[in-house]
Amino acid sequence: MTAQTVQQGDLVTVIGLEVHVQLETDTKIFCGCSTERTDEPNENVCPVCLGLPGALPVLNEAAVEAAVKIGKAIDADIPEETRFHRKNYYYPDLPKNFQITQYDEPICADGELEISVEGDRRTVTVERAHLEEDPGSLQHVGGGGGIDSAEYTLVDYNRAGTPLMEIVTAPDFRSPAEVRAFLAELEEVLEYLGVFDAERDGSLRIDANLSIIPAEEIDGEDTAEIGAEALAAANRTEVKNISSHKGAQKALAYEETRQKNAIQRGRAVEQETRHWDESRGITVSMRSKEEEKDYRYFEEADLPPLRVSGWKEEIAIPELPTARRERFEDEYGLSDEAASKLTSTKQVADFYEDVAGEYDPDLAATWVADNLLGELNYRDMEITAIEGRLEEVTRLVELVATDEITAKNARETVLRSMLDDGRTPDEVVAEEGLGKTGEDEVKRAVVEAVEENPDAVADYESGDDGAINFLVGQVMQKTGGSADPGDVNQLLRAELED
Amino acid sequence: MSDDAVSAEEVRHVAELARVGLTDEEVDQFTRQFADVLEYFETLDEVPEVEREADLTNVMRPDEERDSLDREEALRNAPETEDGYFKGPNVS
Repeated sequence: MTAQTVQQGDLVTVIGLEVHVQLETDTKIFCGCSTERTDEPNENVCPVCLGLPGALPVLNEAAVEAAVKIGKAIDADIPEETRFHRKNYYYPDLPKNFQITQYDEPICADGELEISVEGDRRTVTVERAHLEEDPGSLQHVGGGGGIDSAEYTLVDYNRAGTPLMEIVTAPDFRSPAEVRAFLAELEEVLEYLGVFDAERDGSLRIDANLSIIPAEEIDGEDTAEIGAEALAAANRTEVKNISSHKGAQKALAYEETRQKNAIQRGRAVEQETRHWDESRGITVSMRSKEEEKDYRYFEEADLPPLRVSGWKEEIAIPELPTARRERFEDEYGLSDEAASKLTSTKQVADFYEDVAGEYDPDLAATWVADNLLGELNYRDMEITAIEGRLEEVTRLVELVATDEITAKNARETVLRSMLDDGRTPDEVVAEEGLGKTGEDEVKRAVVEAVEENPDAVADYESGDDGAINFLVGQVMQKTGGSADPGDVNQLLRAELED
Repeated sequence: MSDDAVSAEEVRHVAELARVGLTDEEVDQFTRQFADVLEYFETLDEVPEVEREADLTNVMRPDEERDSLDREEALRNAPETEDGYFKGPNVS
């Protein structure tokens, strides 16, 4: 945590998160139904995930492996023994009227994740992470579609039983920007581990607790240590329905301002649950009956306890983004910024290493981090969209590295045409005549330019060095832009020396 | 078992959690019945100690797909359905 000087009357924002991530397994957590998305409701359901009487859950080994990988990645303890509980509540998205989850013995405890916020590195504590099943999905139909005015409810249990990991942080965040940085880093780590697909709808769901505390409640100058009493004394709101790291930053910035305004006007902040309305960009009170939550947790006797602490040693995980970023800086001599861009997803990092293995690492970095990602980003595309065409990008880098085309043409014409028209680099080069103009042709153009522009030559000879630029322009025009401007400059000067 | 094993308040609370509406008469009735049920459970205290079965741990299955139910079958017990969905009253 960065030390910040705080003054009397200052307010400090305190945020903690509960992040639900959907684990990428082929089947559900307690039955063999597929987790594949389908538009047909109630297609991937069976007696277990429908909660039919007598059905017995059996734990999916892949979900446990994914949980252990996450634990390992965030340096959490995997306790000797961990078990499941039933969390009881009645809502139609839960066919059994209870959710199988973990309570007092979660599979991961006391982990941490390092993040970078505006150049500062800091560590966020992950208090616990546990396995649970996803509920089904509801549609509120009729009466304008709102949840309160709906005429009836349609229920689809395809999603019920999808494995989730709930990751709970300490109240370590002091700004919405920090929350966003954490979620982006978490997504990156989970994708590296291969246990998560960010593109999948609903794969990330966030509940955030936010409270505002008077700065004088903080001991000393370090804002990291917030007294438990001060935290308990402040009313907090729980903001639900956040589904992306961008959304989290927006929702929490709104909520932060709302609470600060209330406090500055001398009004109390209600302790309540609020719903993030993404389309309107505001949080709305859920007006829930503020009845004390009573989930009557009890042990799930159908699932024997797990003893998997040894798996932490046995299961290998890949090099994680932070480690890879540091290695890229050391091994390839990249800047922090370039290394960060190049490790933003595993696919990008893997591709960079392929290219850097064959060509100059700096050239490879420019091509992957700036040109390729830049053009993809401009088109709202991810590298996964051109997964099958990465060899073509490598070929383009080769054309530049071997001086067959200019960097400018490669970037502005070939790469763009590859993405927009689906042509291969060699097709674009041939069809657009972009092959670097032969030396003879450039020399001829230089001689012509000198002959045709006696005024510019005279200016140059009388000491106006800027006149050379005009002549370079003439040569570039004659060669259709395919000559290298630096080479042309050299050739012109040599010609004029004679 | 004494009469105050379960209070009317507790019955109302449990009914609320289970989304069940009870009349005052039903609350009285369930208060008595809950107490009776709990009394039956106390009989278990009289069961003599027996050897426990060996503890099971790490019972898991491989991540392999198994056939789901036909949708028709899955929806068969539902009082109301619509377009392949279970249909129920408005909830909030």
